[in-house]
Amino acid sequence: MKIANISKILLMGIGNTVTVFAVTLFFSIPLGLLLSFMSMSKIKVIKAPVRVFVFIMRGTPLMLQLFFVCFGLPFLPYVGQYLVMDRFVAACVTFALNYAAYFCEIFRGGLLSVDAGQYEAAKVLGLTKWHVRTKIVIPQMIKIVLPAVSNESITLVKDTALITTIGVTETLHYAKSLVNSTASVLPYGVAAAFYLGMTFVLTKLFAYLERKYAF
Amino acid sequence: MNIIHAVGVKKDFGALEVLKGVDLSVSQGEVVVIIGPSGSGKSTLLRCLIELERIDEGSIYVGDRALVENGVYAKEKDLREIRQRMGMVFQHFNLFPHMTVWKNLILAPLSVLKMDKKEAEDRAFEVLRQVGLLDKRDELPKNLSGGQKQRVAIARALMMRPDILLFDEPTSALDPELTGEVLTVMQDLARNDSTMVIVTHEMEFAKNVADRVIFMNEGVIALEGTPKEIFENSNHSRLLSFLARKDTSAEAMPST
Repeated sequence: MKIANISKILLMGIGNTVTVFAVTLFFSIPLGLLLSFMSMSKIKVIKAPVRVFVFIMRGTPLMLQLFFVCFGLPFLPYVGQYLVMDRFVAACVTFALNYAAYFCEIFRGGLLSVDAGQYEAAKVLGLTKWHVRTKIVIPQMIKIVLPAVSNESITLVKDTALITTIGVTETLHYAKSLVNSTASVLPYGVAAAFYLGMTFVLTKLFAYLERKYAF
Repeated sequence: MNIIHAVGVKKDFGALEVLKGVDLSVSQGEVVVIIGPSGSGKSTLLRCLIELERIDEGSIYVGDRALVENGVYAKEKDLREIRQRMGMVFQHFNLFPHMTVWKNLILAPLSVLKMDKKEAEDRAFEVLRQVGLLDKRDELPKNLSGGQKQRVAIARALMMRPDILLFDEPTSALDPELTGEVLTVMQDLARNDSTMVIVTHEMEFAKNVADRVIFMNEGVIALEGTPKEIFENSNHSRLLSFLARKDTSAEAMPST
């Protein structure tokens, strides 16, 4: 089988790969930012649940979380019947929550690294808390967290392969079927090239962002 | 008329008593320089005036309003208005690193004073010229020298037209050859009748510019007076040993 033919079949799966990737980033970054502010709150009822959430999401396998959301939730008493999700949606929800936990910690680290003098300067100038956050703190945090966010994004590209375990067809799923049906290792090589292509684009994108945030 | 009036100010950081009952009055147009050994509480006192630190006991009045009265602080909205009368310049400049000089200047006037853009930019032009940095308006802070950064920080404070300017060791983080340009700007401000409270280790500057010098030691004002009284006619033993140490450390530094 030619590489072109293999590629054509793998391309059928790449839509799901890219969609899970994009949806996850789209939801997990804002959610992670919100969680990071909450986890730095002085109010315990705001902070504590976030810490528990982060502990669970970071402390258990992503695959377990996928199984839990996709196959486990419907068995919950009373509410289970309302928690039956399309598998693809379940995958997106799980990934977004999981990555939000990691982003929460990355952003928290970034927020803590913003110099205390920045808050003081903003305060004596009379800026409101909202302006301090949006105009002073977050832009500086972005610069600090970019390398870590880049790293997470690349990990996410590869983690999307996990959704094949709950029966959502993506790139790796088609590669595996092809290897089985053609008795050739080539489809794995082509799939690897696909992932490398995606991570290459991301690497370039983040390199650009890091240049843009070089202050 | 006193524009700042602090009475019986006490402040501790845990077990460490930093201010042990300080009274301080500053009148309109006066330049007050606070000197003293490190740990004497001079920076803390300055930071308390603009509520970067909170005092435990005492009162601080700014103009006719109480920032804190007998240890009880005003409401947040009032605090904001009272702080607004003061501008502060920090030892480490604290410019916003992600913004150009120009944006650093117009940010607060636009978002806090709701000045319109034209007015803010006219003002920025004026204060940048005042500190001699018009050509640096589009630079990021990282491309400026320490002295230039501090002049921008002064300009940023001036943007808000404060009635009182507070300086917390404005030249302490600078290379010795860069202190002059900052002190010159401050001297110009002093000549223009600005009200200034300055914590510094620059004794020459204190001698030349201060209307009144305050010597702090171990959390109290040990001595205050005109520069002449402090630097020439005093036989206060603590002050003399402090000044003697200053002299030797100044000699150790070339090119000052």
